[in-house]
Amino acid sequence: MGIADFLQPFASSLTYICVLVLATFAITLIFKTSATTNFAQGTVAALGCYVASTFLISKQWNIWLSLLMGIVFGILIGLFIDLVIFRNGRNVNLVGKQIITMGIVSILGNGIPMIWKYLAPPTFPGLTNQLNTPPIVLDIAGKSLTITVHSLICLGLTIAIIGVLFVLLKFSKWGLGVRTTASNEYVAQMMGVNTYAITAISWGIAGGLGALACVMFVGENGTLTNPFIMTEFQVNAFLAGILGGFGSFVGPVVAAVIIPVFETCVGFFANVESLRGITSWIKVISYVVVMIVIYIRPNGLFGKKVVKKV
Amino acid sequence: MGLINKYGIYSSLVEKNSEKIHHLKEMAIYDKSVVSKRCDKKINNFIKSKELEINRLEFAILDLNEEVGSRLVSKMRIYNKFDYWARRFIIQRMRLRKYSESSVSKYETRLEKLNKHKWWFESKIRNCLTKQLSKYIVTDEAQKEEIRKSLVSLKESSKVEIEKYTKDIRKIEEEKISAIEEKLSKRIIKPQMNIEKYKEVLKTLKNDEELLDENIVLKVENLTMQFGGLKAVDNLSFEVKKGEIFGLIGPNGAGKTTVFNCITQFYKPTKGKLLFQEKSGNTITLTDYVVHDIVKKGIVRTFQNVEVVKEISVIDNLLVAAHSQYRSSLFTQFLHLPSLKKEELAMRKKAEEVLEFMGLSLYKDWLAWGLPYGILKKIEIARTLMNNPQLIILDEPAAGLNDTETAELTKLIRKIQDKYGCTILLVEHDMGLVMDICDTVCAISFGKLLAIGTTEEIQKNKEVQAAYLGTQEEE
Amino acid sequence: MEMKQYNKAPSMMFKKDNIIKQVLRKIINFLKSPIIYFVLMGIVLIVLGNLANKKIIPYSMSKTLATLVVYGIISIGFCLLLGYSGLASLGTAGFVGVGAMVAHIIIEKYPFYLYLGGQAINVSIFIALLGAIIVSIILGMFVGFISLRIEGMYLAILTLGLAEIIFQLLENIASILNGTATIKVSSSNAILWLTKLDNASKCALVTVIFVILLVLTQNLINSPTGRAMVTMKNSTSAAQAMGISLIKYRLLAFVISTVYAAIGGLLYITCVTSSLSTTDDPLLSLNTSLNILGAVIIGGSKSLWGVILGVMILFGIQPLFLNEIEFFEKNPSFMGLVSGILIVVIVMFFPGGLSQLFLELKLKVKRLFKKIKERMYGSY
Repeated sequence: MGIADFLQPFASSLTYICVLVLATFAITLIFKTSATTNFAQGTVAALGCYVASTFLISKQWNIWLSLLMGIVFGILIGLFIDLVIFRNGRNVNLVGKQIITMGIVSILGNGIPMIWKYLAPPTFPGLTNQLNTPPIVLDIAGKSLTITVHSLICLGLTIAIIGVLFVLLKFSKWGLGVRTTASNEYVAQMMGVNTYAITAISWGIAGGLGALACVMFVGENGTLTNPFIMTEFQVNAFLAGILGGFGSFVGPVVAAVIIPVFETCVGFFANVESLRGITSWIKVISYVVVMIVIYIRPNGLFGKKVVKKV
Repeated sequence: MGLINKYGIYSSLVEKNSEKIHHLKEMAIYDKSVVSKRCDKKINNFIKSKELEINRLEFAILDLNEEVGSRLVSKMRIYNKFDYWARRFIIQRMRLRKYSESSVSKYETRLEKLNKHKWWFESKIRNCLTKQLSKYIVTDEAQKEEIRKSLVSLKESSKVEIEKYTKDIRKIEEEKISAIEEKLSKRIIKPQMNIEKYKEVLKTLKNDEELLDENIVLKVENLTMQFGGLKAVDNLSFEVKKGEIFGLIGPNGAGKTTVFNCITQFYKPTKGKLLFQEKSGNTITLTDYVVHDIVKKGIVRTFQNVEVVKEISVIDNLLVAAHSQYRSSLFTQFLHLPSLKKEELAMRKKAEEVLEFMGLSLYKDWLAWGLPYGILKKIEIARTLMNNPQLIILDEPAAGLNDTETAELTKLIRKIQDKYGCTILLVEHDMGLVMDICDTVCAISFGKLLAIGTTEEIQKNKEVQAAYLGTQEEE
Repeated sequence: MEMKQYNKAPSMMFKKDNIIKQVLRKIINFLKSPIIYFVLMGIVLIVLGNLANKKIIPYSMSKTLATLVVYGIISIGFCLLLGYSGLASLGTAGFVGVGAMVAHIIIEKYPFYLYLGGQAINVSIFIALLGAIIVSIILGMFVGFISLRIEGMYLAILTLGLAEIIFQLLENIASILNGTATIKVSSSNAILWLTKLDNASKCALVTVIFVILLVLTQNLINSPTGRAMVTMKNSTSAAQAMGISLIKYRLLAFVISTVYAAIGGLLYITCVTSSLSTTDDPLLSLNTSLNILGAVIIGGSKSLWGVILGVMILFGIQPLFLNEIEFFEKNPSFMGLVSGILIVVIVMFFPGGLSQLFLELKLKVKRLFKKIKERMYGSY
């Protein structure tokens, strides 16, 4: 087995990693600013993707423009959730917020098929198809390593966006606000931080990131069949969040890279004759492994122990 | 957790068995009370029935007073109705948490007035009723004479009968009670034997733990609690004597609540030793236990911001506090077997006693939702009393109370100490309260011990004054 | 002197009255105990099922009723978890799948027989029930212990993952067992003791189990455990200080809800449908978990009757009344949309759900009557 054979699965899962990183970052952002787990991330993302594909296919818009429209729609939905739903609820507690996001999943998950039933087939051709570029083929030690342009674009976009966001978190006023809100919302309010604006912006960013991630995924996959298409990513993003520890931003993002890499590594065992069937068990194995890691380190790989005030 | 302490294991086994015995005994006491209650009821009923017979005869020979106004009947009806509705109104208002103090007090004064004039209504109504009862009355003189004669004999015979009946019933009662005791003694044998067995083992083992003097309940030694870089409590040591009221004072952020949280194991202290003497005389290291086991060891606490469960009624809150005393298994609870019902009734009785002691009987069945702050605080203190504690920890009991309520609280704390004989450890900002009731006061500042001593000593202490008022150099 | 005698006189007049009142009160108290109503509801359901089987009312009713009851079973477990312990889970559908799988393996593949007096008595339904309970307890303990050790909120996340994993597992196991992705309990194998189950008896079986579980749940709620759970939901620190072990009771609530879900799955596959596809059956999807959540929230998460009402609204209205209308035929997911909107609105504005609303309405009416009566009798 050459290096190329070894690298090929990783190259193939490049888009998967990018999508997961974006989803994880969005979920972590919401967890930090609103102290809730956003179960609606996946369906909001899917909605953004549906909008983008509508513009692309029915209205024949430019790919980048329709992508932008999708992202804008995602941002709007994110803002709507925070400004209209969370802000107006009477004494909604933490579990209540969680349940509201579940309710939104139910609304979008059942509403999308009703709206997009009669539209053009909800498929979203990959970015590559639109640009009509063949995949890049590298030659390593006589074996070829194929990388699609789509995955490279995704990688570039992801690195750029996550990089910008990290820089913003570290140095901008918004980032400082997010960090203070995360540590204590009430104190942050008292110190003059506009936590409302900060949570709203965070929800907007999360929605936008979701839409982008879904478009990336669908672009590679080629079809957009149902609104629960992102559920797998959502599950993995949450697992990554716990694995890396919701205490920091770096932890979940790193964990979001680790999980698919681990899954790919497990996939190598499928080459062994007696373990052929392992491919259908990969998800199960990675889940159990994550559970074991969480059992050993309850606050995540990068998390610190938090002492609750009584 | 430290190394496995054999001595600790065996002493905990002893503790478990003695808990079992205690539970069995409590249940037996409850059984006995039920038996005697039933017997009393039987006797009372018998006496009443006899009295009724006599009454009927007495009534029959009565001279009737015919001057009765029938309109009074309707008035009586109004009285009854109004009394009923007023009571219901107050209770409903309280339950719906939409009452205002003034409206309730208005109705209460009305009720009082009603009660004052109740006798008048009642006498009138009786007069009225006699008219209706006239059919029972004998007018024939000869018959009357006969009845009088029979009445005398009946009175005598009924006296004898009552005596006999009481004797019989008491005999049965005694039998039943002795049966209960027999059953109890049979049940106790096994745990008692266990205790003796373990105690013998204990004699052979050497206790690595430090033993506390008999008159010391809690010993805090070099306690340090660190949050990141901040030392909330720094090398603090003090001792709490048995039966005293110990006050912990200090400016805001001095780490008083942190000390409490360390004692009750909400925080695991970074360093230091916490020794505690149980009611049985065992000395234990508190850091060996988990938070929810602390209450079983005899330490109960209240919270700075009241943590009363608002969804359930006041008495349910007390029953929750007695949670660690329930012994029925999950299976029993699923099926509501009689053993659980018995336990529940016993606990309810105990809770009612505590509520009466605290003066909260009125609020028994009310939801804790809309109750005033002062009463919530009282409920919190009442909760601690459900567990027969050795040490009660009160975290700012007077915070948010006005002066009269604070004075009431002072009395209450004294009363608790008298009745339950427990040690009380409290944090308080209200210096009046502290100086009034505390036997020993410990002043801390920034987690460090400033001074410890009687109230006078603390009042005179320069360092304490400086910590509270600030020195001039600090300006 | 005279006064005293008068005092005694009326007592005998009232005595008679009192006995009648006491008897009445006893009867009322007996009727007031919630268990009676559960049993009554069960009887009504069984009668309806029988009527449907004899085609006096539409034949499809019996199946609809059985479906509703199964959803009811799953929902009351969830009610204990959400309403009493304040924990949310998204793995309900996964555990339903586990129950269905156990039923498939035990009832369909390896049925158990008890030989009594030369007769082969089929007890596989009981064995399957036991099996489903055991498997779900083990699974629930595993996930619950790890997630609840950290924080209550993590349960939803890890169960969301777990459900996905379970669907994958079911698919794998089904393909190993059958080579296809469907699991089934064919009606020829659905035998209880000696009788083959027809539609009416299936409905009855489901209802009996539902009523038993309702009574058990009601008992648990009114016992120290129920109180401990409510305390834990309201204030974790108070609960700990009162000697309530958080992990123990959270785990208990979660495991109970998983057991109910597994029983629901088992009954669903034996009594409602005979086969389930592990890849794309609507029952085995996130939507089911969300709908159960919706039913519990809409009905009122702290009341068993409220939960039953919620189940009726979410799962009952469409098949019973609305299937004839064209719009609903074309959009089967419309009720899911409604449930989502209701979840959001109810959590935002009426945390007690519909049962709370009804209670408040009742109190308002009562208060109105009281005011009128006060007017009539006048004030002092």
